[in-house]
Amino acid sequence: MKRTLSALVLAMGLMTVQGQSQATTVADIQEFTLNNGMKIMVLEDSSIPNANMYLFWKVGSRNEAPGITGISHFFEHMMFNGAKKYGPKMFDRTMEAAGGANNAYTTENTTVYTDWFPSSALETIFDLEADRIANLDINAKMVESERGVVASERTTGLENSNWRTLMEELKGAAFRAHPYSWPVIGHESDIAAWTLDDLVQYHKTYYAPNNAVVVVAGDVKLAEVKALADKYFAPIPAQAPPRDIKTVEPEQKGERRVYVQKASVTSPNVMMAYHVPATRHEDYYALDLLASILSQGNSSRLYQALVDKELALEVDTYFPMSFDPNLYYLMGVAAPGVSADQLEKALIAETNKIAAEGVTQEELEKAKNIKLMDFYRTMETIDGKANTLGTYELFFGSFDKLFSAPDAYNKVTTADIQRVVQTYLKRANRTVAILDATEETDK
Amino acid sequence: MKLSKLKLVVAMATVMTLGACAMTQGTGVATQNNSPAKGFVVPAYERLTLDNGLTLFLMPQKEVPLITVNAVVRAGSVNDSTAGIASMTAQGLLLGAAGRSKSELEQTVDFLGASLSADAGKEGSVLAADFMAKDTEVMLPLFANVLMRPDFNSDEFAKLQQREIAGLSQAKESPRAVIGRYFDKLVFGQHPYGNAGSGTRESLATLNADALRAFHANYYLPGNTAISVVGDFDPASMKQRLQALFGGWHKVEGLKQPDLKAGLPKLDKSRVLLVDKGDAIETTFLIGSLGISRDNPDYVGLSVVNTILGGRFTSWLNDELRVNAGLTYGAHSGFVPYSSAGVFQISTFTKMATTEQAIDLALKTYARLWEQGIDKATLDSAKAYVKGQFPPKFETAGQLAGLLSDMYLYGFDDSFINEFQQRVDGLTLAEAQRLVASYFPRENLQFVLIGNAAEIAPIAAKYGEVIKVNIQDVGFGN
Repeated sequence: MKRTLSALVLAMGLMTVQGQSQATTVADIQEFTLNNGMKIMVLEDSSIPNANMYLFWKVGSRNEAPGITGISHFFEHMMFNGAKKYGPKMFDRTMEAAGGANNAYTTENTTVYTDWFPSSALETIFDLEADRIANLDINAKMVESERGVVASERTTGLENSNWRTLMEELKGAAFRAHPYSWPVIGHESDIAAWTLDDLVQYHKTYYAPNNAVVVVAGDVKLAEVKALADKYFAPIPAQAPPRDIKTVEPEQKGERRVYVQKASVTSPNVMMAYHVPATRHEDYYALDLLASILSQGNSSRLYQALVDKELALEVDTYFPMSFDPNLYYLMGVAAPGVSADQLEKALIAETNKIAAEGVTQEELEKAKNIKLMDFYRTMETIDGKANTLGTYELFFGSFDKLFSAPDAYNKVTTADIQRVVQTYLKRANRTVAILDATEETDK
Repeated sequence: MKLSKLKLVVAMATVMTLGACAMTQGTGVATQNNSPAKGFVVPAYERLTLDNGLTLFLMPQKEVPLITVNAVVRAGSVNDSTAGIASMTAQGLLLGAAGRSKSELEQTVDFLGASLSADAGKEGSVLAADFMAKDTEVMLPLFANVLMRPDFNSDEFAKLQQREIAGLSQAKESPRAVIGRYFDKLVFGQHPYGNAGSGTRESLATLNADALRAFHANYYLPGNTAISVVGDFDPASMKQRLQALFGGWHKVEGLKQPDLKAGLPKLDKSRVLLVDKGDAIETTFLIGSLGISRDNPDYVGLSVVNTILGGRFTSWLNDELRVNAGLTYGAHSGFVPYSSAGVFQISTFTKMATTEQAIDLALKTYARLWEQGIDKATLDSAKAYVKGQFPPKFETAGQLAGLLSDMYLYGFDDSFINEFQQRVDGLTLAEAQRLVASYFPRENLQFVLIGNAAEIAPIAAKYGEVIKVNIQDVGFGN
């Protein structure tokens, strides 16, 4: 990310919107596609005198190869360092002088640029974005300074987040073929090694209008957005589509394990992950509801079995949206005096229990209600709306899946929950990573 | 699709009326957007006081069918007799209430997809809930019980206590998570603003359920509390519900709050608190001193000037340390105001080998404020930025409820929002320079450095008298 550390995609599932509120419906979303293939969605919303623009690029660490790992994220930084009309530093200076702010994030699958601004600055934003999409100036001096920034981002992530440390090691073990193997921020030696040519090629290949989806939400009008898109984005030529990612991770045939030692860790951290299908697979909804059943709220399975029983200080799950089959994470921090082994066994016992006995109808209903609340909270801001619409467009193939998700969630049964646990959350499909203070020895 | 909030303001101004006669001192506050040039204004709301002294804020918002309820109690770590008791009392509210166990409460709240949380800050404790409007009849009584009739069950308290004690050690694994606590202690010392709101491993161990009950009885009083309701509700029926639920809350007179103006520190020399974390791979640091209180009339102007120094991406600090030098991922500065004092701090981090370079560059960049001054183009840009980024801070029901709670806690009104743009517009270059000269601390700066002391101790000594502690030591001490 350009400025903050989290690379988690926030979009959640949701249900239809009823009642007296004025919540967004599918009819509120308007869309058009430019001749160069750039798709643009517009959501008019005058709640506040502001708007935003989200540009979703279909490029992430998934599109990299050994030697240039982390380049998608590094490129995200370079997109702020000067183009033809707006030279070095002028992107941010121009935007901020117009009252706007921006950020960006990179994931395994996408790179997303976010502009937040008073709606009066809409044309300035189009001008700035078009300039850097069409005419980015990649110069050697900027690359060198930015390497230091990204190295600092990597270091401060490892310094302040045990999960980041663990996830980096875990992914390396869980994937031996697919590019999800390396961290989004890249390997340290690759950060030091990118060449200008690598970056120039990357820009040409991936920052083509036909590889993007744009969302504008806020106090704007469709006609105005259309006119500006025609003026600024339409002249940018399309490019040949990027190569497909053909690598399919081979089936895991047995548990894999990773151990990381860090002296200042006060009690063991355990992260485990299971291979699961891509987001477009029909089991997505059951797995997503399962994550709520396991870890959302103090009445969740993992809280009740681990935190309430004083085995863990905290527990969580993480289930990212993904273009290709990816991982389903469970994690916990041990309570004082509890070993990594005890914590790991307790986590596994909970998933095994669901595999054997299933979940209750009430638990499933609860998870569905949690999804509905999450949806409303997301749709409370123009920022949440833009991010969620674009995310659904990319990960489900169409933004309207956001509005049909209710049916998809409602169709999930307790038997489905039990089945996905039995299918995916099993030992042979698991990678376990442990972080602890002492060095691992044979004793 | 949606009524804009601005249109809603006008609409609400015509329908807001004073409610039930049991409510006294009702004040309808309806802000009208009678001039588009005025810009963003607070959505219409109503402020009432019940006979028992409880303050109520009601602000209808219809964008999504949700309701947020906040109760803010004037009790925070400045009231701590034992470090951490305000925080533990707030968290203790959730351990069961009116005979319903912690587990029963959580089952109810979670099943509705709702949230219920509580914590204490320096001067206020907040109990917050959000839920779907259709679940109001379940969630409001539950909220009232948790606020007024917590059980402080001993077994649950013991578990919370152990989690919090262990959590303190865990928090120290992340320098970023704890550096502010070290800084406040260094700056405020024995003044209540220096109290570690989270408590320490030792102080938390001395607490028990009875201590929480006593704290609750002393401070959780209607005359010391405001409840804000924001979201999709009908004001008239909501007022009746609130009156029924909270009208019987017993009134207690004679609550004494500490005099926070008294005993503020005099910082007469530069000091460096060096916090040793043996396996640190970078140095995390804060530089600063005393700042301003929340009621300072120059608050808005200072936020504009700080934007230039360290409040946005193109700020001087971020530009020098990140963009030009590549020393860090981000550098910031800011005023953190409390009711009677505050701090100003510059914050960043860098790899160990560039610690001295980064601190020196931060100080040199900071000095530009008075050595070089601000030019008009930069000031104009900062003013546009601050105004442009203001409305999204008050977009959700939760944000608006937080604003209302802050109004109660810090004693300001909606003119802060409604006049914000004019105040920003009115800031001249000369005025900006006056603010620089008056408020940005130049002498006797205080430093906190968290890193590997074996490596950075000689560097620390350059900046002032060094106090060295180990991050694993109890507390956040000086």
